[in-house]
Amino acid sequence: MALLLRTVARQGLCLSRSQFGVLYRHAVPMGTTANEEMNKFWAKNTQLNRPVSPHVSIYKWSIPMMMSISHRGTGVALSSGISAFALAALVLPESYPYYLDLIHSMTFGPQFLAFSKFALAFPVAYHTFNGIRHLAWDLGKGFKIPEVYRSGYIVTAVTVLTSIGLAAM
Amino acid sequence: MKRFISSHRSRAALVHPGDSSHLGLVVRIMAALVRISSVCCRGVSPLLFRSCSLIRPLAVQKKDRDCPYLISAKIHATPSSYAGSGSKAASLHWTGERILSIVLLGLAPVAYFYPVPAVDYSLAAALTLHGHWGLGQVVTDYVHGDFKIKMANAGLFLLSTVTFAGLCYFNYHDVGICKAVALLWSK
Repeated sequence: MALLLRTVARQGLCLSRSQFGVLYRHAVPMGTTANEEMNKFWAKNTQLNRPVSPHVSIYKWSIPMMMSISHRGTGVALSSGISAFALAALVLPESYPYYLDLIHSMTFGPQFLAFSKFALAFPVAYHTFNGIRHLAWDLGKGFKIPEVYRSGYIVTAVTVLTSIGLAAM
Repeated sequence: MKRFISSHRSRAALVHPGDSSHLGLVVRIMAALVRISSVCCRGVSPLLFRSCSLIRPLAVQKKDRDCPYLISAKIHATPSSYAGSGSKAASLHWTGERILSIVLLGLAPVAYFYPVPAVDYSLAAALTLHGHWGLGQVVTDYVHGDFKIKMANAGLFLLSTVTFAGLCYFNYHDVGICKAVALLWSK
């Protein structure tokens, strides 16, 4: 008995499965991963046609929430824009300078041009700066609630300033 | 763990090896300890890493007598916590995503100061892959069901392939990404 205990204590880290069975008689290890569990949940509940409780529609919106979904929104929008541009490059017959001049001739003045530059720069700047904020989180920094709000305000301010600066160029 | 061993050793000294009832009691104590530690102390790892302070044997002994039925604890043990190896694919993917983000961040000033074809193609690759992985996370979050997930990912793969092809075509046959942005901003 003491021998078994000593063996267990010394081996510490690497128990083989047979020893596992002896010690964990009353603990049932799950054979599934978290991903499989999640899929099982969704499959079962959609199959039973269960309604989903209101969540995003009732929870009070906060700045971090809005910034998070904006990060995703700008990401999807920019990605779609790039894909649309690439598709156009493959499909359209003429070259880029041609179409650029075409659009330029159709515009309504310098203010419109400045505004459209701002509209292009804003999502890029926001996604970039909020992306840096995300990378800081990935390093484990800035999770305290006041820090989250502070970094959020900084990102928003820098985004607006950068977009104005870029639009003026 | 050390406390437990020393107290057990003192108990073992009083027990004759052939005495089966004592042996059974000790095994049950051990099992109950493990059971309770796995329920209380976040699953498998504390016992493996010997850092969890186990409950004193005497208290357990009494509790064991009061509860004749067995409490089963279901442990969610991912494969990597067994002695065998688990897949590190998801973890490496996560790290790859972060590294790519940093690379893309670095490419932006380089593209501004050195608008050469090498940067054009690097930008095409980095942008496409970053977008592909990002949209992949969106699919993972919102699409459920094996078939739908497969279809969504297949569609995404197609979109990313076409995007990369289009950007490379643009880089080769047209002005290139860096010049395109410069031209756009010069108007």
